[in-house]
Amino acid sequence: MSTTASPCGTFDATILDRRELAANVVLIGFDAPALVAVTRPGQYVMAVPPSGEVASTALGIYEAQGTRGSLLFFVVGKRTTELAGLRPGDGLSLTGPLGNGFDLSSNPRDVAIVAGGVGIASVLLPAQALLAAGARVRLFYGARNRELLVERERFEREGCEVILATDDGSAGHRGYITQALERAEPPELILACGPTPMLRAVASVAETLGVRAQLSLEETFACGVGGCWGCVVPLIGTSAQAPNFPPLERGGSDVVYARICKEGPVFWAHELRW
Amino acid sequence: MVSASGLHDIDLTTKIGSLTLAYPTLMGSGCYGSGEEFAPFVDLAKIGAVVLKSVTRHPRLGNPTPRLVHTPAGMLNAIGLQNPGIEWYLEHDVAKFAGRPCTIVGSVAGFSVDDYAYVCELLGQRSEIAAIELNISCPNVASEGETFACDPRLTGKVVRAAREVTDKTLIVKLSPNVTDIASIAREAQSAGADALAVINTVRGMAIDVETWRPRLGNVTGGLSGPAIRPIAVLAVYEVARAVTIPIIGQGGIETTSDALEFFLAGASAVSIGTANFTDPRVPVRIVEELRAYLAQRNLRSLSSIVGRANVGFANAQQYEGDEG
Ligand SMILES: Cc1cc2nc3c(=O)[nH]c(=O)nc-3n(C[C@H](O)[C@H](O)[C@H](O)COP(=O)(O)O)c2cc1C
Ligand code: FES
Repeated sequence: MSTTASPCGTFDATILDRRELAANVVLIGFDAPALVAVTRPGQYVMAVPPSGEVASTALGIYEAQGTRGSLLFFVVGKRTTELAGLRPGDGLSLTGPLGNGFDLSSNPRDVAIVAGGVGIASVLLPAQALLAAGARVRLFYGARNRELLVERERFEREGCEVILATDDGSAGHRGYITQALERAEPPELILACGPTPMLRAVASVAETLGVRAQLSLEETFACGVGGCWGCVVPLIGTSAQAPNFPPLERGGSDVVYARICKEGPVFWAHELRW
Repeated sequence: MVSASGLHDIDLTTKIGSLTLAYPTLMGSGCYGSGEEFAPFVDLAKIGAVVLKSVTRHPRLGNPTPRLVHTPAGMLNAIGLQNPGIEWYLEHDVAKFAGRPCTIVGSVAGFSVDDYAYVCELLGQRSEIAAIELNISCPNVASEGETFACDPRLTGKVVRAAREVTDKTLIVKLSPNVTDIASIAREAQSAGADALAVINTVRGMAIDVETWRPRLGNVTGGLSGPAIRPIAVLAVYEVARAVTIPIIGQGGIETTSDALEFFLAGASAVSIGTANFTDPRVPVRIVEELRAYLAQRNLRSLSSIVGRANVGFANAQQYEGDEG
């Protein structure tokens, strides 16, 4: 994974635009030049709504171009409800960019990106970077139904081949997107972002196909910057991503808990012991 | 209006045992890493001290996940004292704390009196650590973690054992999960504590109604954030009446007014944990606003307001009657 720490900070951003992509799916664009300039694919921010709820929300950075960045999120609780209520001109405090992001340094030529639901928010930047480098990018995109497959045309316009799946069959393959991945021509590298059950399925498909996979994990955050050890996942003790910590025996092998917010959120599937 | 130079004449220095802190703000143990994690977002030179994550004699993997749940006006955590153990800590971590722009306070947890003494002695030899906080009140470990702070006799024992092995300023962190916090506080003071941290988290639990399972991997957790603030203010108020050593008040502090409640209840300093998760600028903002608050009232020092809300209650009955 990328190891160079990027300069991050807390920024007062201004909302530029807001769109409702589907019921309870919102995209807000913001102006934060210093933040946007240093954002790498797969990184995220902690967004604090103006009322200052107890915990801020970790959100993937969807777009980052020029001075404008954007966040794409599902309205699921109090904090996202408040974020969804923001209007152009409103202020928003953003801490970031945080996390390691996807590692594209191997210059892969054929990549499958797997996104489930709101996971789509973290995969536009890597798709753009890969396409710009001339790679073939297939987006395997799953959601509950057709309406929730937001921004699929956007990925087509960017130059991705888009393969869809929905739980109810209202678009694409009926069933899990990982079933479509399993049947497809194996890529050179898999990148995935979405709910944990989907990521587990991606990990097992990747193993079957013999393809390496990078998974962007999701977990409840508190500090979001590596200070509280609340957001951990077990890794093999020998992982290059292991934090400065003695590997300890658990269930017969050496593991070390890594912080999803700090060492992650992106991990190699074959190094996880979850 | 007070002139800018007037604001800087206001004295916020705080003495805790042999420590002199430039600001009365400490960052709560377990919430702030070693400070470094927050350095991109806040000027560490403008905070009083960082209290490090608690360290134990042996390495600990910590609790299974999930370890965090957000709850109304707060959160539950059950980290389970994940730490590399004192040996690794001394070898790999402590040297990095030298030259930090703010004071570094170590935190020690344990499962026996011997554990505490062992770790305190080793940590106490290190110049990078300015003081030691005894975490005798962690609610998130299966066995004895919290029982020390729930029993005056055990509190006395563990504090005495730590006192014997180190001359460093000793802060004892008390649990709110007790019937009579004042008696524990008294015992800690007479056993040699230089200061008390009041309070650690309040025990709590959350259940997922879809899966019918507890939300935390550890089942129970510790509640922090604004939800516990009134509990913490009362604890400080009661402890302040029982002891003469300084109190570091904590529990749900997010704003200057929150911090002032603690000073007025009897705290000489405050500690900020969960609020940093929302906005890392909170501690610095509180310091600036404290100056303005004091200046407006023509007060030159923070110490002049410590404990001023403590009008006392004549007897326990009168006090209980007030709760209606
Ligand atoms: C995620 C988390 C981890 C914590 N870990 C520790 C710890 O290792 N040792 C300790 O003494 N207190 C620990 N605490 C307690 C805090 O230091 C603090 O006393 C408590 O959270 C109340 O303050 P707050 O409401 O400002 O957070 C932890 C709290 C949180 C939220
Ligand atoms: S959320 Fe605190 S370490 Fe990740």
